[in-house]
Amino acid sequence: MISSCASKSINLVRGGMRAIATSAVQRSDHLFVHRDTPEDNPNIKFEFTPENKKRVEAIISIYPEGYKRAAMIPLLDLAQRQYGWLPISAMQKVAEILEVSHMRVYEVATFYTMFLRKPTGKYHIQVCTTTPCWLRGSDEIMECCKKTLGVEVGEMTKDGLFTISEVECLGACVNAPMVAINDDYYEDLTAKDMQQILADFKAGKPSPPGPRNGRYASEPAGEPSSLTEEPKGPGFGLQPALA
Amino acid sequence: MFRAPLTKVIQGRFGSPTHGITSKAIRSSAALSQTPAKAPEKIEVFVDDVSVKVLPGTTVLQACAVAGVEIPRFCYHERLSVAGNCRMCLVEVEKSPKPVAACAMPVMKGWRIKTNSEMTRKAREGVMEFLLMNHPLDCPICDQGGECDLQDQAMAFGSDRSRFTDINHTGKRAVEDKNFGPLVKGIMTRCIHCTRCVRFACEVAGVEDLGTTGRGNDMQIGTYVEKLFLSELSGNVIDLCPVGALTSKPYSFVARPWEIRKVSSIDVLDAVGSNIVVSTRTNEVLRIVPRENEDINEEWLADKSRFACDGLKRQRLVAPMVRMPNGELQAVEWEGALISVAKAIKDAKGAVAAIAGQLVDVESLVALKDLLNRNGGETLCTEQNFNVKGSGSDLRSNYVCNTTIADLEQADAVLLIGTNPRYEAPLINTRLRKSYINNEMDIASIGPKIDLSYNHQNLGEDAGLISQVCNGGHPFSKVLENAKKPAIVLGANVLERPDAAGIHTTVASYCKKLNKQGWNAFNVLQNNAGQTGALDVGYQPGTQAALKAQPKVLILLGADGGKVDREKLPKDCYVIYIGHHGDNGASIADAVLPGAAYTEKQAIYVNTEGRAQQTLAAVSPPGMAREDWKILRALSEILGTPLPYDNLDDLRNRIEDIAPHLVRFGKLESSTFGNLTEQLATSKSIENTKIDVKQKKLREYFMTDPISRASPTMARCVREVSGEEAKEESQRQAAC
Amino acid sequence: MSFVRQILAKTPQGVHWAKTVSNSSRCMSSVGSRDAPPIDVSQVIAQPEELERKRKLSGAITVPTKVDLSPISGVPEEHVKTRRVCIHLPPKNAMQSGTDNLNHWVIEFDNRERWENPLMGWTSTGDPLSNMEVTFGSKEEAIEHCERNGWRWFIDAEEKPKVERVKNYGLNFHWNRRTRTSTK
Repeated sequence: MISSCASKSINLVRGGMRAIATSAVQRSDHLFVHRDTPEDNPNIKFEFTPENKKRVEAIISIYPEGYKRAAMIPLLDLAQRQYGWLPISAMQKVAEILEVSHMRVYEVATFYTMFLRKPTGKYHIQVCTTTPCWLRGSDEIMECCKKTLGVEVGEMTKDGLFTISEVECLGACVNAPMVAINDDYYEDLTAKDMQQILADFKAGKPSPPGPRNGRYASEPAGEPSSLTEEPKGPGFGLQPALA
Repeated sequence: MFRAPLTKVIQGRFGSPTHGITSKAIRSSAALSQTPAKAPEKIEVFVDDVSVKVLPGTTVLQACAVAGVEIPRFCYHERLSVAGNCRMCLVEVEKSPKPVAACAMPVMKGWRIKTNSEMTRKAREGVMEFLLMNHPLDCPICDQGGECDLQDQAMAFGSDRSRFTDINHTGKRAVEDKNFGPLVKGIMTRCIHCTRCVRFACEVAGVEDLGTTGRGNDMQIGTYVEKLFLSELSGNVIDLCPVGALTSKPYSFVARPWEIRKVSSIDVLDAVGSNIVVSTRTNEVLRIVPRENEDINEEWLADKSRFACDGLKRQRLVAPMVRMPNGELQAVEWEGALISVAKAIKDAKGAVAAIAGQLVDVESLVALKDLLNRNGGETLCTEQNFNVKGSGSDLRSNYVCNTTIADLEQADAVLLIGTNPRYEAPLINTRLRKSYINNEMDIASIGPKIDLSYNHQNLGEDAGLISQVCNGGHPFSKVLENAKKPAIVLGANVLERPDAAGIHTTVASYCKKLNKQGWNAFNVLQNNAGQTGALDVGYQPGTQAALKAQPKVLILLGADGGKVDREKLPKDCYVIYIGHHGDNGASIADAVLPGAAYTEKQAIYVNTEGRAQQTLAAVSPPGMAREDWKILRALSEILGTPLPYDNLDDLRNRIEDIAPHLVRFGKLESSTFGNLTEQLATSKSIENTKIDVKQKKLREYFMTDPISRASPTMARCVREVSGEEAKEESQRQAAC
Repeated sequence: MSFVRQILAKTPQGVHWAKTVSNSSRCMSSVGSRDAPPIDVSQVIAQPEELERKRKLSGAITVPTKVDLSPISGVPEEHVKTRRVCIHLPPKNAMQSGTDNLNHWVIEFDNRERWENPLMGWTSTGDPLSNMEVTFGSKEEAIEHCERNGWRWFIDAEEKPKVERVKNYGLNFHWNRRTRTSTK
């Protein structure tokens, strides 16, 4: 009783003042320092494959003289695509290629959330939970993923196939809710669709990306509800005197 | 993202083939274009309605400084590049809709800068509020407390209350502490991300190990991987840090800034002569911080000079000692010690020699010389060797840095011979690095492959390369000859070789060719603080003269280098040690007279460029120890040949008679007769042996003199740095 | 604040700001000393004929006599004859960026032994002058003060003109200069 009174009065006082931090601070669940692990340590060798080496050369030659280090993000991306995620030895390799110190690469790799600095499954399921998707039921999708795969957000399944991430808007709000699995978008989902998609991936025959509710792209679902009639000809709506 | 151009390139269009060729031309033209043809016209701006004329390109902050207005700042530092990320320097500029960051914005003609307007004050308050939101309120247990920029600026420019009320719910940002090594303590929760330490590491120290990882609220400063910040200049990040995130480990929880007394002095642990401030409480040196001197150390200080001060409290000689018949040194009264020493000198009947060590000051050198000369001794030498043939140490320009430390930063081609300036004189290396960055300097070294913290060309280890370069037959000779301001730096250790005379004269006569109007290319980098002074007052370099004389009495004035031992001396030789630490010298002495260390006496030291500077006494010598020249003065009294000076002023007058430049403190007298070296040369032959440097790795840097050898902090540094270097070495080998 | 700054800014550069010992408020003036010119008492109480005589004599050369206050200043002889005074500009604290308290000259006596008081751990000294810190607007004033008191003095720090540095944010991102050392 007393405590509730106290909290009310505190709230009253607080209400009068403007607090800067009014919502919980959202912190990243990633570490921003490196810890040596059996999967990720500098002693594990990383080398670009011969064809990727060709790509590396090509990428670097895009950038003008003196801006070699601009190739850092593409190279890190290439390394991540090759390895599935970005181990420390890959970052060091990129630093060597670009002739910059290791730290300069670490800085970039930790800045961007899409560089995955811990072991990640073959299929990286990125569930969008930003407002439009959330309103259209991304919570269910997330729940479905967690339940089907038996892992929490940020974790990898034991077979190394799936990792679930919660991400911010991926720009497909018109097809909400959606998930991105690796580079492909799966849109207009329901929990059932999600289950189906995961089952397909597990079976090794990925289902085709795109909307799941029968839409081709982001056109209106069902029949158009406006602008349905024939376009009006010239002079429509003008005063008779002007026509 | 890169797909379109990628396919194009894979099809065979690999950029233009001229890429590599054009770059060099453009690079050199960029270097040329930075020298302005003529001083551009000054532009007028108004700071708080006061008119100021500044050069175009001046930043708002600098213009305000000219007007006498100091803009608050955290990230901006005069000697580092502009970062512009703390936003504390926001000021209002009339007609600008937003406040501008004064540190990065160049002024325009007619700007009216308002440093105290409503908008400016609100901007500062806002920035301060954001900074404090995530800054812990642990000032009472923070070592920076009392000399903290954040504290002071929060008082001066911050709001008087906080709107941060959520402390019980989500709390403040907290960051894991980092281990930067044995010298720097990192409490990263206090960090405000000014990135001064990152910029210092990259730009000045040349160790690109620090950086920012993560972003937004998760951003942190660190090394990302677990490693130490291995640099010989790491202590400077403590000074640079505007908050208590990086503090001194040896000094942690020792004292508050308002308790300490500060005495301006000179550092003697290398031959640079860095200006320092010695902080003391009671009779104890607590810490040493740098003092600004544009000509010498700018405002940096090397780690040894900064942290070896706890060696001043250990291994000290606190009472005069005489070796008893049983072979043990026993503490006696001054009277007894001086009488037995005087007796020995008298009995020697002129067969007296003296060797001066690494850390001796000019006063005691002069007093010792006068004393010996009055008692028939003529053999006075320094412990460190030097070329004695030809003009040898007779011409001053033969043994100093003639280019001067400050001017080395303008050099555009430098050849290092047998020296590792990074560890022998870290603050000279920062000058070279500065020139490397700003002047596009070409630098080459003859000697072992070492890491100088900047890219340089290693010509090889062979001493024959010296004559090759100096004959003009080496590709690097072209670089030196075409340079506007070339310089050659000879390490002091090279001149200890048997063929020192050959190397010395070869290089000196080549430098004569390189010299320009007002530019002298010949430099000898001394690494002992006492050496230049000793040579200036007429000591012979090298111990060989003293050993050859087979003296009956040998006086070691702080000679701790271990170059003299009992085997090399006659059996009945009576060794007298005058100095402050119980090191090599005291262990072989028959009589030990305890002297004062550099923080305990007002004394003159001459740095490697020949600049005389004086230390001031910060504390008094421990126990019965006395200032060295006073010991010698007392001894002369007992010997019956009293020296004609009773106080420091008289002694300084005597020094002025010998060498007037030694009492013109802080001023640099240019050396003359430099071009006589060649005429007086005796030999130019150089042996084809390998040139070596003593300090190659950081772990070899920390202990080079009696003070640093006695310092527990330096011992910890050696231990931890060796461990880290071994780890790095094994990693490198695993990678190969 | 701003008023003081304006005065500060208007006065020619190179002039040092006088600062009183007792008053730490930022009273500054444009001349070397802020003391009012001393009133000559003899001038005030003199008879008209005396003034006339003085006026006639005013063309004559006067030889300045050295003023020595040490016999009457009450400072023990030991602390006059044996002390050396260091006249210097206070160095900037390496730990901080502020420079506001550095623009005056200070006299400081040579350090004598201090020890820790065994009772409270405070610092003790037998030197009455050890805590005397007098600040001056100019070097000359400090020297004059030392001369009058009979102390031997020396100047420790010379003022050097400030180095003009070019600060350019763009250099951080220069494409082919080595100034591009860090990402910051």
